[in-house]
Amino acid sequence: MSALRLTEPRFVRWGLIAVAMAYLGLFLLVPLAAVFFKALEKGVGVYWAAISDPVALAAVRLTLTTAAIAVPLNVLFGLASSWAIAKFEFRGKRILMTLIDLPFSVSPVISGMIFVLLFGAHGLLGPWLIAHGVKIIFAVPGIVLATIFVTFPFVARELIPLMEAQGSEEEEAAITLGAGGWQTFWRVTLPNVKWGLLYGVILCNARAMGEFGAVSVVSGHIRGMTNTLPLHVEILYNEYQFSAAFAVASLLCLLALVTLAAKSFIERKLHVRKEAA
Amino acid sequence: MSIELRGITKIFGDFTALRDVNITVPTGELVALLGPSGSGKTTLLRIIAGLETPEHGEVLFDGKEATHRSASDRRVGFVFQHYALFRHMSVFDNVAFGLRVKPRQERLPEPAITDKVHELLRLVQMERLAARYPSQLSGGQRQRVALARALAVAPKILLLDEPFGALDAQVRQELRRWLRRLHDEIGITSVFVTHDQDEALEVADQVVVMHDGQVEQVGTPEEVYEHPATPFVYHFLGNVNLFHGRVDGDKVDLGEFSMQLPTGEALDTAQAVGYARPHLLEIELQSTGTPQFKATVRHINAAGPVVKVELATESGSLLHAEMSPDRYRQLQLRKGMPVFVSVKEMKMFNAPQNMLGGGI
Repeated sequence: MSALRLTEPRFVRWGLIAVAMAYLGLFLLVPLAAVFFKALEKGVGVYWAAISDPVALAAVRLTLTTAAIAVPLNVLFGLASSWAIAKFEFRGKRILMTLIDLPFSVSPVISGMIFVLLFGAHGLLGPWLIAHGVKIIFAVPGIVLATIFVTFPFVARELIPLMEAQGSEEEEAAITLGAGGWQTFWRVTLPNVKWGLLYGVILCNARAMGEFGAVSVVSGHIRGMTNTLPLHVEILYNEYQFSAAFAVASLLCLLALVTLAAKSFIERKLHVRKEAA
Repeated sequence: MSIELRGITKIFGDFTALRDVNITVPTGELVALLGPSGSGKTTLLRIIAGLETPEHGEVLFDGKEATHRSASDRRVGFVFQHYALFRHMSVFDNVAFGLRVKPRQERLPEPAITDKVHELLRLVQMERLAARYPSQLSGGQRQRVALARALAVAPKILLLDEPFGALDAQVRQELRRWLRRLHDEIGITSVFVTHDQDEALEVADQVVVMHDGQVEQVGTPEEVYEHPATPFVYHFLGNVNLFHGRVDGDKVDLGEFSMQLPTGEALDTAQAVGYARPHLLEIELQSTGTPQFKATVRHINAAGPVVKVELATESGSLLHAEMSPDRYRQLQLRKGMPVFVSVKEMKMFNAPQNMLGGGI
């Protein structure tokens, strides 16, 4: 059968492309453009004022700090758990895999609530924490904890299938050639998964910086102290400071665009490697 | 370096992969572990390398206990079935790996490593492709890189897991002769795993035939082919004809004919199975008085140095006979021709409980 006969008529092809583009435009591009339009509506001065406001800068700092703690921890966790799952057989492997997916299946608000129930003033460990002067809920530790919880599947989910597909023969080869555990990890395992790992890190980071639900529950919304960027946007918006809200939101959009660019670059790398393998 | 395995038993969950295996590989020999898949040969190889730990038994190198030494300090060269080349490294870096991961005080300076790697690549005829990546090589080329990489650390023992399994027939033939020459050149104690009897018989000094996690027979290729110790070895090494029968005194009754039991054969059951290789079946056009049975020619394959004839007995079972082209021309065999068949030599075994295969 010739290739031509498998091809749909021209109007069907163009029709499908048009529908896809229109959908994309309506639900993605228009809102994205609207964010920047609204942000700059009252001039560059207002935009600049909104993002250089000390409270906004505090939110940026908190968001970056949170991501700087959550992402490396989840990289470590992701590497360890995917290594264990992909290279070893042990009891409870299925359960571990299900648990790793848990944050994906639980609403972020519930994730936040879990921590309030655990560490809040009326929570399980609350009285003990208060007695020892440790503050977790409505403070930075709570925000970090909630963020870690919500983002921990990203790296692991990315690495498990990759490591499973690669098997452990190369590691065994390295060991028979006299390499120790660390040498094998740094010279063989890590280089083999580096693009997949970076991909997971980028997704994890995007979510860590953009998380709203779980963080909102544990944050307490204290201005300049426990507000991350997404929470700051909400506050500004609720106070009818639309231009300022959109200005701060545009920062998050920029982050999203950078993430997308990095993601497509890495995807191309991963694709090339898959074809080469 | 010699290898000695004593009472090796390996269990995976509720599956016993190896049961009390004892093998000795003398220094400098090339030994084949031959058996069907699931016979435990790869597991045994991995135990020698230290990639698996046996539940019971000992591994000795040059008479010294090595069972509990880790794979990384056994200094055993291992060539994996699917090569396991480092995919993110060039051919050169793959071969250099073992030299570069040595502890600082033992490590050669980088120029010396470069020289050594080029020397090895020359040995495996891969020098021109040093900058390539594994994905850019053919199967045979990858195999040779894997071998050079294993040899780089100057191992005292070389282990190869199905070294030619993933290659096409022609490359296989070439590589196996090349491996034999290489072994004769560097004289390293080598063990390779294969499920291909031709490969084992052609390349090895000694063949270890394995079945169900146990050693069936150890011997030179000639010994295991000409004098199989068990029915399994008979089956596994080449074509064989089966004859089911009853032992009666010093005679065996095979249904359509009976013959004298070979001298020295002692059977403790009345039920017996006779084994005869195809070239031990003699075809005649007339009855000669010796124990014979009637058969019909079903198919003739006269291509090649040996003529293969398929025969159907009166009870309908199929037999395979082989003869020289001269004999074939002399008999002028045709499809459908009735003939008389005698068996020049037959090896008798007690009938096992669940015998597979046909025969009389």
